Amino acid sequence: MLRYITSRVAIAALMAVLATLVIFLIANTVPGDPVLTQLGDLAASNPDYVARFRAKWGLDLPLWEQYWVFLRGIVHGDLGMSIASQRPVLDDILQYAPATIELSTIAFALSLLIGIPLGILAAVRRDSWIDHVARLVSLIGVSSPTFWLAFIMLAIFYGGLQIAPGPGRLDPIAFPPPTVTGLFLVDSALVGDWDTFWDAAAHLVLPSIVLAAATLGLITRTTRASMLESLQQEYVRVARAKGLRETMIVTGHVLPNALIPVVTLGGLAYANLLTGAVMTETIFSWPGLGRYTFQSAVSLDFPAIMGITLMVAVVYLVINLLIDFSYALLDPRVVRR
Amino acid sequence: MTDATFQAVPTAVVQPVPSSRARRVWRRYGLAGVGAAIICIWLLVALAAPLLSPYAPDAVDVVNRLQPPSTAHWFGTDALGRDVLARLLYGSRISLFTGTVVVLLSAVFGTVLGGIAAYAGGKIEEVIMRITDLVLCFPPIILAMAIAAALGIGITNTIIAMLVVWWPKFARLARSLVIVQRSREYVEAAHVVGFGPGRVLMRHIIPNAIGPLIVLVTLDVGNAIITFAGLSFLGLGVVPPTAEWGAMVSEGRELVEQWWVATFPGLAILTVVLGFNFLGDGIRDWLDPKARRR
Amino acid sequence: MIFRSVRRRAFLIATAIGAVLAALPSASDAAAPRNTLVIGVDTSDTITLDPARMSQYTPPMTLKAAYETLVTMDPGDYVNVKPQLATKWERTADGKGYRFTLRDGVKFASGDVMTAEDVKFSLDRVLNLKDQPAQYIAHVDRIEVVDPKTVDVILKDPSQPLLTILAAPAFSIYEKKIVAQHGGISDSSAKDADKATQWLDQNSAGTGPYKIAGWERNATIQLVKNPNYWRGQPGFERVVIRHIGDSAAQLLAVRRGDVDVAFNLIPEQIATLKDNPEIVVQREPSLDFVYMAVTQEPEFNPALAKKQARQAIGYAIDYDGIRDALVGGSAIRPVSFLPIGTNGSTEQLTREIGFRQDLDKAKQLLAEAGLPDGFSFELSYGNASIVGVSYQLLAQKIQSDLARAGIKANLNPMDQVNLRTQFTTNKSPGGVLTFWNPPAVENQLWASATVERVARRVHWQPPQEVKDVVSRAAAETDLQKQAQLWRQYQEAMVDNANLVILFQPIYQVAVRKRVAGFQLTGAGWMADFSAAKPVQ
Repeated sequence: MLRYITSRVAIAALMAVLATLVIFLIANTVPGDPVLTQLGDLAASNPDYVARFRAKWGLDLPLWEQYWVFLRGIVHGDLGMSIASQRPVLDDILQYAPATIELSTIAFALSLLIGIPLGILAAVRRDSWIDHVARLVSLIGVSSPTFWLAFIMLAIFYGGLQIAPGPGRLDPIAFPPPTVTGLFLVDSALVGDWDTFWDAAAHLVLPSIVLAAATLGLITRTTRASMLESLQQEYVRVARAKGLRETMIVTGHVLPNALIPVVTLGGLAYANLLTGAVMTETIFSWPGLGRYTFQSAVSLDFPAIMGITLMVAVVYLVINLLIDFSYALLDPRVVRR
Repeated sequence: MTDATFQAVPTAVVQPVPSSRARRVWRRYGLAGVGAAIICIWLLVALAAPLLSPYAPDAVDVVNRLQPPSTAHWFGTDALGRDVLARLLYGSRISLFTGTVVVLLSAVFGTVLGGIAAYAGGKIEEVIMRITDLVLCFPPIILAMAIAAALGIGITNTIIAMLVVWWPKFARLARSLVIVQRSREYVEAAHVVGFGPGRVLMRHIIPNAIGPLIVLVTLDVGNAIITFAGLSFLGLGVVPPTAEWGAMVSEGRELVEQWWVATFPGLAILTVVLGFNFLGDGIRDWLDPKARRR
Repeated sequence: MIFRSVRRRAFLIATAIGAVLAALPSASDAAAPRNTLVIGVDTSDTITLDPARMSQYTPPMTLKAAYETLVTMDPGDYVNVKPQLATKWERTADGKGYRFTLRDGVKFASGDVMTAEDVKFSLDRVLNLKDQPAQYIAHVDRIEVVDPKTVDVILKDPSQPLLTILAAPAFSIYEKKIVAQHGGISDSSAKDADKATQWLDQNSAGTGPYKIAGWERNATIQLVKNPNYWRGQPGFERVVIRHIGDSAAQLLAVRRGDVDVAFNLIPEQIATLKDNPEIVVQREPSLDFVYMAVTQEPEFNPALAKKQARQAIGYAIDYDGIRDALVGGSAIRPVSFLPIGTNGSTEQLTREIGFRQDLDKAKQLLAEAGLPDGFSFELSYGNASIVGVSYQLLAQKIQSDLARAGIKANLNPMDQVNLRTQFTTNKSPGGVLTFWNPPAVENQLWASATVERVARRVHWQPPQEVKDVVSRAAAETDLQKQAQLWRQYQEAMVDNANLVILFQPIYQVAVRKRVAGFQLTGAGWMADFSAAKPVQ
């Protein structure tokens, strides 16, 4: 078992690093020079300036050496300096991560809160109108392009009805609570700043609905299918024969088993959300990792790009590992294969 | 953008609804039928766009910019005075084309790779699966932007960028399907009789595995359409002034008061993708033996 | 069913919260209404607030509030420099530099009096840090303190302009004692040894009406009043510059009074404020412009190598349509690379010698060039917007205009990095849509750029006469004669048709009526709020 774990972890680490290598190579085939966007017009045409700037960012080293510097840095927890913001990439990521974590977690919780009950009811009342409604809701959620849904939400609830606050995590002139976790809900509650708490909560409503829409569909369908599968099992018939109440059977026996695949797919969906939803964050001016990813990609900010790639790879691989481990724990046959 | 490829829907147990013939037909073919109908309509629109479109899609007329929907312009005009409906109709060509091309190509590539992995087993399988994992943990946006920066913007290059990240899911599915099939008795029997691996693959494994693959392909076209529109929204994708739905939403993004610029293209995407999702769901229900009842 | 009403209830609670929030004044701005000036602007380009490293667009506004320069430019007058920290200036006896007489009674925010030592320290530091601003005073040889109230700036090349450049916030004067205390070095070892930037990012040691109290990246810049300001008490206790990246959010904020000023509204949004009783839209012509640079390298595009082909482009574009429809009417258009408002560039001149839409003339020029059926070229641009107009939209408009003359522009959107790289390394194969904003208000900087580095980018070798005109104009002190020379220069630019100016924006900024004295400027620091105060 231990060998299994260590070998999987080792492979995962290797893959994360490989991912950064691939991105590094691709990004370096781009003919553009990120330095030139950071310099004013005169400086950009001055070869001395350009050379000096490149030397400062280590961009004049041969490719393999640049990558080696990056690898060495990782070991020390240093992901390099972002060319665009001119401060450590790790600082950037730590600054933007809480915003994404807060949003994704709320969105995910929302999709679970709605999706699981909906899926259960759809399974238990199969082919009834509720089943159809559930199916429609999940299909629409999955079929809507996020960027469009975000726009529609803003247009209707913010622009039209004016009942929702605008883009951003807080009102434009509000000040964030003192940073403890970076999660505004938590931080404001910790100091009892309820104004800010409700402000942050109100700003979370629309973007989390948008993000939850697609995940909702997934959760509902998975729960429904899994419930239906479990309801087929022998032990359900036995329990019924024994005379147990239907609700008891469903909640006490079927549900825990049915939720396993939901956890799997849900975990992956959460990972997806965590690594930043570019569209939603862009439209809602959410200062999170998705937007940071996009801006770094657009400005060819190599250190930032590699830092983000590493982080995304790590998140996915970790979650994959956790899921696989949970299988291994539940089913020893997995290990041997 | 994940997708669930679980085996579908066993027989319900709790409240069977008495069924008339109409109900049975609906239940069996209804969803798929609606989906197919939607797709057919859009296909026709895409093919007949020049005939249906009241204006040319790139007829710039700045004097009439940002006009609300009216009898002259059913869906209004955009920031350069171009007719939104015309651009919508022409945009269907891009979306349908790119969605299907990406999915079909990556399905073929991924399936072959996954099939090889499963059939060969051992080291080869391990390597292929690790490559699959590697590709899956890329942030797709960064990859797409890097490729766009290296190769330039445009439909072809964006399709290439998408292909790079799109094939793994098919590889994984194909592999798991082939593994399941491979251990079936009829395959062993075929070996015993003396059929070569190729023949077994072609004649036995593929026909049995193809069902879920078709489901995934159908469902995935919707995803691909959304993804391509998303990339266009972010500034990759098509070269202007080509009409494309994602690009149209992007142009209307700031224009909350002139809602028609961004709303209609998004609705178009929604309906097309719904069509594919209905069809895919319907096929899945239809294919699942446990769902065929009464 | 249960879950649906959960969802509905959740949203109702949320909307109730939203409604309550909108009604309640939030705890943080209880004192804001009267004594704090809140400015809403996109500050995402801010990476430092150290004047000697200044090279971005938005930070100068903060710098001009915290610091002052020897001379300055009044809004609207971009020809004559005005006294600020220096009251008098003249050429030195040997003609090699300028002697500045410093103003009496100017104190830094710390209370100490400003002397020539501080001036020397500040300017030396810029020169020796060798960051981007240093390039613009590269022709300065040394700074000499004559006495505590007099400073000499000696030039290597006395014919090069200096005064207009010194008005830029990068050449702010700060207090030697304090900056040195925090690691500031002004001698030749500054480049590697100076450590003051970190402190200067969060504080200031200047003579301006406010002092920097803190900067949170992409969030706020906080300023508090400088009680020792030499012109008297500033109008506000605090100034908060809030980063609001989204123009719709800025619109809402200024409407609700959450911010007093909104800088980045797009024309469609400005139009909605026309009849708002609480807001006035201030307009100020900027000195920035959007232009198209067209190459003449025959290897890239043989058609464009012909002068008449390029001129045809200049005569085919619907400038008025761009101005009225895309920019909401809020723009002017100079002849060439000298923005309107500077010496030698006026709207009248554009009507006389500048490009204008004339399709017949364009077709005639094409025929002269031997291209009666037109030609095609690649038009590149980046993924950005200026005053709410995206380059993408502008490019498509230009494409359709040119098509009417038979010229086919193939649009090539690029990411900023590739675009800038291609452009600045002289590899652009066709036309490029880009933006120019002045590092300092000095004609010579623009004009010389066009005959040097920008000329290289479009593969033009300007004839010596043109270069001579530029040098003579830059050295000419008589404004009339100078204007005449600039006219000659601009005629040459129009004739060679490598640079087609599309529009020079008139910035429209929404200012709430409770604030008086908020002054916009096109001189490079966006606004001057030294005289701003709440209306009683």
